[in-house]
Amino acid sequence: MRAAVHLCAAALALAGTSAALAEPAPAPPPWTGVYQPQGVDEIGLWGEDDESERKLAASPHIIRDEKLLAYLNDVLCRTVGADRCQAARIYVIRDPAFNATMSPNGTMRVYSGLLLRVRSEAELASVLGHEFGHFERRHSLDDFKRRRSSGDILAWASVLAATVATREAYNATTNLRYEIYGSLFRYSRDQEREADLLGLGYLNESALPPQAASQVWENLMGEIEASSVARGLRKPKFDAIAFTASHPPNGERAGYLADLANPEGAFRDDGAERYRAALADWIPVFLDDQIKRNDFGGSEYIITSLATPGWTAELWFARGELFRTRGAPRDLVHAAEFYREAIALQAGHPGAYRGLGLALLKTGKTSEGQAALTTYLDLEPEAHDAALIRLMLPKEDAQ
Amino acid sequence: MKLIGVALAAALVAAPAGLQAQERAAVKDGFELAASSGKRILILRPSVSVGAQSTGGMFEPNADWTEQARTNLAASLAKWQSQLGNEVVPVPVTYGGDELLVEEYMALFQAIASSVIEYQFFVGNRLPTKKQDNRNKVFDWSMGPGVASIPGAENADYALFILTKDAYGSTGRKILQLLAAAGPGIAVKSGEHIGYAGLVDLRTGDLLWLNADGQMGGDVRDAEGSEKRMRQLLEEFPGSEIEAD
Repeated sequence: MRAAVHLCAAALALAGTSAALAEPAPAPPPWTGVYQPQGVDEIGLWGEDDESERKLAASPHIIRDEKLLAYLNDVLCRTVGADRCQAARIYVIRDPAFNATMSPNGTMRVYSGLLLRVRSEAELASVLGHEFGHFERRHSLDDFKRRRSSGDILAWASVLAATVATREAYNATTNLRYEIYGSLFRYSRDQEREADLLGLGYLNESALPPQAASQVWENLMGEIEASSVARGLRKPKFDAIAFTASHPPNGERAGYLADLANPEGAFRDDGAERYRAALADWIPVFLDDQIKRNDFGGSEYIITSLATPGWTAELWFARGELFRTRGAPRDLVHAAEFYREAIALQAGHPGAYRGLGLALLKTGKTSEGQAALTTYLDLEPEAHDAALIRLMLPKEDAQ
Repeated sequence: MKLIGVALAAALVAAPAGLQAQERAAVKDGFELAASSGKRILILRPSVSVGAQSTGGMFEPNADWTEQARTNLAASLAKWQSQLGNEVVPVPVTYGGDELLVEEYMALFQAIASSVIEYQFFVGNRLPTKKQDNRNKVFDWSMGPGVASIPGAENADYALFILTKDAYGSTGRKILQLLAAAGPGIAVKSGEHIGYAGLVDLRTGDLLWLNADGQMGGDVRDAEGSEKRMRQLLEEFPGSEIEAD
């Protein structure tokens, strides 16, 4: 009975959301100020969450760069407003995956892979706003309650089926199980749509262009497609909903996010230059992490899209590393070329000389390669791999 | 991942009731700790988590119960530790990375203790690599020598790890249990009361003594019950004066 009510409610919510997704997202409701958890479930969840935040704060996996954190916090405040953003604490996790989360007590986890992929303050703001939307609507609590009642229903159904003990009863229980699992996933997707709607509400009200939200998903689809093409796979379907999908398909999101954006906001400053300046020190580090994921097509897509405003020594270097890491003879030829481009832009780039030397050695250009490695050691005599590199040099140079 | 929770909860309905005859304590071969032998024991802050169990078997965290249990268990530990028979060293106050290290070793301890229950105490569920040990009644588990790096380890010989996790069966769970037993005769477990206490050698990381049970007594939400729980956890502690119930 309760299950049926839930299912109907979910269907209605879905209908309501899709209707609302066709026009610009409305402004968010007034902020109610500091919120404290209510009731046993929510207080319990927040208690667990506080523990988990304590562990996160001490974790070796987070990036402790005060300047970067202050910048991200500033972007969040300009997105959701100075009052709302006080409820969030941002932690940057060094993980090359495209992800961000916000948990019930206001812990916002931003993955370094997200910072590598978004290209402007506006794109970053759209993801932070979406996560803040989950927090403001207290989706984790709803989700917890829903999973609990689903589990309860299934427990009763199993006992009931065992009591009746007929084939029909068992079949009905199995069907109910799929129905409930399906409704949980459907509900999760609806929560995502609701967070998207609220996220665009913040963005429409902010000084940043809301059109960036749709762009984030366009870019991600571009990356996924590039990754598949490089593996020789078929183009992924961006509009198909899998039974177990927790999020709406990327194609659908890109579509309705574009509709939700206020058209008048399209000409606002997206803060792309400020974003590049703030992340300048970290992008090479994040690129290195990304290259190690062994996703050639995806990484190449990211590097070339970062180079849209112009190639830099670091981007040429990263591209060289990407090709040298895959390491087929044809890749090494390209890698050498990219390292040379990096050196042309920044004469004393130690990493580029190292990569160039190693790539040349492997393609049989021994003397040229050794010359590049000698330059590398001249530039960085204390390099962590200096002893190893010296083994590749002729004896007299190695002294 | 969320759905696995639901699937497990549903599966729990058909789980067999606990095994009463199972052993639940063990000592490493050749380990003896005489009373007043001048050894120092580092007592780590117990890991405590208390909540309810929904009808479907899901854990529902309860912050108030957890807080009460933490206070109660700390008070009863303070009371019992004077009877452990050897010198007790308090954990130094730690910050940042060190604190995380203790948390990580607590998690490792939980994993080892539950493996001991599953593969050593539970007869008939043997790991291939542990078969020989089990046949010869050898108790040989270790956390590794890295445990020497936890704060306070330099001033102690042994560390005492204590962990409790309680899920009190909700009313719905209890009714389900009754009806499942009365109707189709399925045994549904209501509530979960896990308690592990283990003594670890701070030089080698070897587990010297373990008391681990998935069905502990004593309601940790009140002072009296906590004292009973702590006594159950520490009874048979080598060299102690604490007697079993």
